[in-house]
Amino acid sequence: MIRLERRLEQPRWLLVAVPVGSLIVAFAIMAVILAVTGHDPGHTYRQMLDAGFTGNGAFSATFISATPILFTGLAAAAAFRMQLFNIGAEGQLYLGAVGASWIALQLGERGLDSTPLYVVAMCFAAGVMGALWALIPGVLRAFANTNEIITTLMLNYVAGFLITYLIFDSSSYWRDVSTLQAQSFPQGKPMPAGAEWPTFGSSVVVPLGFLIGLGVAAALWVLYSRTRFGFEVSVIADSPRAARYAGMRTRRKILAVMAISGGIAGIGGASQIGDFTHTLDPTGLQGAAFGYTGIVVAALARYNPFAVCLVAVLLGGLQNAGFTLQGPDFPSGLVGVMQGIILFCALGGELLIRYRVTISRRARQQGDAGPAAEPAR
Amino acid sequence: MSVNNSLVVVVLAQAVLYGTPLLYAALGELLAERSGVLNLGVEGMMLFGAAVGYWVTQTVHGADAPVLILAVVGAGLSGAAMAAIHAFLTITLRASQIVSGLALTIFAGGLGLSAYFGAELDLASLPTTHQFASLDVLGLADLPVVGPILFDQSALVYASWVLTLVVAVYLGRTRWGLNVRAVGEAPASADAMGINVTLYRYVHVLIGGALAGIGGACYSLSIIPNWFAGDSLVNGAGWIAIALVIFAFWRPGLCLLGAYLFGGLSALPAALQAHGVTIAPEFLYSLPYVMTIVVLVIVSTSLAKRRLGAPAALGVPYVREER
Amino acid sequence: MTGITKRFPGVLANEDVSFEAAVGEVHALLGENGAGKTTLSNILTGLYRPDEGQIELYGEVVHFHSPRDALNAGICMVHQHFRLVEPFTVAENVVLGDHRSEGRRFFVHSPAIERRVEELGERYGLGVDARSRIWQLSVGEQQRVEILKALYREARILIMDEPTAVLTPQEAEALFTILRLMAQEGKTVIFISHKLHEVKAVADRVTVLRGGRTVETVLATDATQRSLAALMVGREVELGRRHEREAKPDGEVVLELDGVRVPGDRGGEALNGVSLALRSGEVVAVAGVAGNGQRELAETISGMRAPSAGTIRVGARELRPGDARDAIKAGVAHIPEDRLGTGLAPSLSISRNAAFKTYRAAPISRGPFLAMKRMGELAQSLIQRYDVKAPGPETPARNLSGGNLQKLMLGREFHGDPKVLIAAQPTRGLDVGAIETVHGFLRDAASDGVAVLLISEDLDEILALADRVVVMYEGAIVGELEAGTATVEELGYLMAGGEAR
Repeated sequence: MIRLERRLEQPRWLLVAVPVGSLIVAFAIMAVILAVTGHDPGHTYRQMLDAGFTGNGAFSATFISATPILFTGLAAAAAFRMQLFNIGAEGQLYLGAVGASWIALQLGERGLDSTPLYVVAMCFAAGVMGALWALIPGVLRAFANTNEIITTLMLNYVAGFLITYLIFDSSSYWRDVSTLQAQSFPQGKPMPAGAEWPTFGSSVVVPLGFLIGLGVAAALWVLYSRTRFGFEVSVIADSPRAARYAGMRTRRKILAVMAISGGIAGIGGASQIGDFTHTLDPTGLQGAAFGYTGIVVAALARYNPFAVCLVAVLLGGLQNAGFTLQGPDFPSGLVGVMQGIILFCALGGELLIRYRVTISRRARQQGDAGPAAEPAR
Repeated sequence: MSVNNSLVVVVLAQAVLYGTPLLYAALGELLAERSGVLNLGVEGMMLFGAAVGYWVTQTVHGADAPVLILAVVGAGLSGAAMAAIHAFLTITLRASQIVSGLALTIFAGGLGLSAYFGAELDLASLPTTHQFASLDVLGLADLPVVGPILFDQSALVYASWVLTLVVAVYLGRTRWGLNVRAVGEAPASADAMGINVTLYRYVHVLIGGALAGIGGACYSLSIIPNWFAGDSLVNGAGWIAIALVIFAFWRPGLCLLGAYLFGGLSALPAALQAHGVTIAPEFLYSLPYVMTIVVLVIVSTSLAKRRLGAPAALGVPYVREER
Repeated sequence: MTGITKRFPGVLANEDVSFEAAVGEVHALLGENGAGKTTLSNILTGLYRPDEGQIELYGEVVHFHSPRDALNAGICMVHQHFRLVEPFTVAENVVLGDHRSEGRRFFVHSPAIERRVEELGERYGLGVDARSRIWQLSVGEQQRVEILKALYREARILIMDEPTAVLTPQEAEALFTILRLMAQEGKTVIFISHKLHEVKAVADRVTVLRGGRTVETVLATDATQRSLAALMVGREVELGRRHEREAKPDGEVVLELDGVRVPGDRGGEALNGVSLALRSGEVVAVAGVAGNGQRELAETISGMRAPSAGTIRVGARELRPGDARDAIKAGVAHIPEDRLGTGLAPSLSISRNAAFKTYRAAPISRGPFLAMKRMGELAQSLIQRYDVKAPGPETPARNLSGGNLQKLMLGREFHGDPKVLIAAQPTRGLDVGAIETVHGFLRDAASDGVAVLLISEDLDEILALADRVVVMYEGAIVGELEAGTATVEELGYLMAGGEAR
């Protein structure tokens, strides 16, 4: 008979061993699925490793995939830590991109070309736009107790329609109408030269956005574990009634956390414009599912900002490999399946962290020598 | 021009058509939530069900009726299989229902299992072989106004009406329905009265998955009817269905009304364009999603005041021996 | 039950417990809180499985794998915290999970069930409207529904777990009559309690549990309250003598409520124009059956709830309605009845919990940052001064026992030098030692000049500690008595809604 006993304390090593263990289990399961559907798992994994990390220019490409999900992962972690399920990082990132591209174009028109100025301005504008977009469901949750899962999700769709509209169905500021070709095949205005964010390194190229993301992660960690703000967040997350009892202003926290979360996602949008696409590209943004992948990253990292950085690189590698290898003999949909399995295993592993599993023979009758309880860790 | 071709009638008839997958998925989610389990994987289950349903029509040969029935069954089974993962994680392993549901959507969704499945079987390239055609019921399809709306729909639509009735009677009047409501409201009380909480939750989550799968099959077998990879096959219907359940105060009858309301909003853009009304399409496309938010806000503020509302134990894993 | 042993993580709840009850008997299980009575009864009803030992029913050994097995065997329990489904009607609750007669039908047919419920109600004096919904009923009526559930199922063994906690003394008497009636009809009633006079009043035999073990089984007629108390606690006990206060408290008025009205959670008013004044150093007790506004009173004074009318003053300062932070700053301390969940955050460490009131200022915080070390030091000092038994300050609060939780909260609240202390059900579920400690703290607080508002369902405790007693009924104060001269009968009468004489 298998019994679950709640653990009184959680040993440190378990908190690392279980996520790692669940990753290994996930890869094993995936290997089985691949084998059963006629693909060679060893070959597939080697391909993925090569395309994701070890091959020529692979790691640099991985950073391209990892940077946006670093931001959306941090955004999700920031909110989920307080039991606020912000699923809207996707849309908040789009809005951030809108804001960043707007200000970049504005600065370009004024003939400015100092890159640091662009970086700061774009991050700021993007953060504000993302925060505002997140404050809509935030306000609804704080004042009308409306479920934020659905509202943030719905706004993702609206945001997607918005950026599609800006480029494809209107003559908006963001749209490039300079050439005849641009007028018939809609695309966004190219960003001015100053808006190209620098990169670092030569054999492995690290985009500025990734470094900014690391900084955000550190700041988030300090905020949540070393400040009054973070203290209140931890109480609200555990017991909103206790927070009210202690006189904490729950509503303000909800608004603040949503704004922070949305702002971080927004900066991810700025990074997309500044680091990679250099134009507002609705099709590309919507096809990539940055926001949803970010949630996977955050869940796997157990909402710890530093772990998010690590997991973002890992999943970035996975995604990068998926894109690179896509073709007739590399199964499409593999990326989503893998992410799902990894998450399932991580969820299952959670159980081991919170509970101790004991296997014991059924209690014997007649007051005999009792059951042999072997704690199975 | 006959009144049956007017904008209003066309939109209403399409409201029923587009609302049907929402209704199936919402009824399924309603049953799961009534037993206390929130399943956010509806979108993924719908996508997978759509793919499997389509595959069945491609592989099984025969007349329309039996093949389509088999396809619906297949879609239902595939949805239930997906739901089983969620059920195991959340009921037995006591994982977070929210994260598990999201994981299921990613796993089974347009960039996951349904795409994998479709690619392996090359479903996107296969032309539609069987689809649900409109049944001219009792020859009344040409009645003014009500004809196209009520009497010219497919079997899936009529089946959904029966299903709504069945679910309503089940929950409100039968012993099992009483039991499942108790499980969702007060699992400790239900357990103490000898009701197997785990069993009831598993069963209802699986049924919820099956219905979601059938809802997805509505798209590939009736509405489009075709299959292609990606999320846009269903395009957020799964999420709207989740919101629908809240909108309907967890009651089947209101689910039906809500499904048709949102179905109508989805049908509006195409119908307006066909009638020469030009508004930027994105504005119209975003209407159902904005409406969902509005409806949810209204419901939330009134929920706070009324006694009716979510099953009290929704989202919380039930543990018997915890001290 | 023979040789029952049950372990939980960190706790040995039952150790080799044995007792037996006869047909037609009212058998009491007596023990202080934490002695293992509830665990034992949960094993008997199939909710828990024993690690060792066995159960024999009418001579045969039985194994219960789930509550259903116990129910099928004719064992029904009325829990301390009712197992009812609130939105359902009485009839629906009664028939829930039942397999015989009406319960077997696929379609639920209410009228037949309702008739049977009303029949049973009349026969045993448990009248309740079978069509009303549980949330509409008073706590006493809800308990009747629980008993009706057992009678409907023709239970042969009925277990009552601390049933009088939610009843007035008169209602408790009525309950005892009903239980004796049921025993006369051949049923077996197992009565779990920690109250000596009740056990003497209703039981035929008494089995005393202490620290998870059986101490002795005695005939009720052979034992006195004193002898039972000694068995229960393991030493000679002073039975609830009032400590007379040296001087009548005549300090200034520290807390003043004037015409406070508070809307209830389910419509209607929870507080219906309450006016109350407390002086420094005074202990004022609020008596009343649960659900008459006591919780709302505590929450309103401490700022968790906003009144719709009326004022609350601490000293000269009027409190901002619904602002807990303002109340804390004004010197209001609150020990809520919901310890883990309102008073403390269960998963957070003792250290964090201890900082609830102090984290906003130095020395715990420096600017926006928290000095984690100081927080730990404060927690450690509270642990030591208030004798909180815990492995360390980083232990999660949920690992602590009820008594230690209470000591921790008291320590935290006293640390802020409060002017007013609201203690809601402070000794519920605690063992005698912890109760004595808590009472000591409350008395010390009063001597130090704190105005103590004691909200309690335990009339003995009220009469032992308080200077004045007010009785709440349906959201209003219906009577005020001097504790020195008040009697249990008078209080009980007021608690049931009688007019003040």
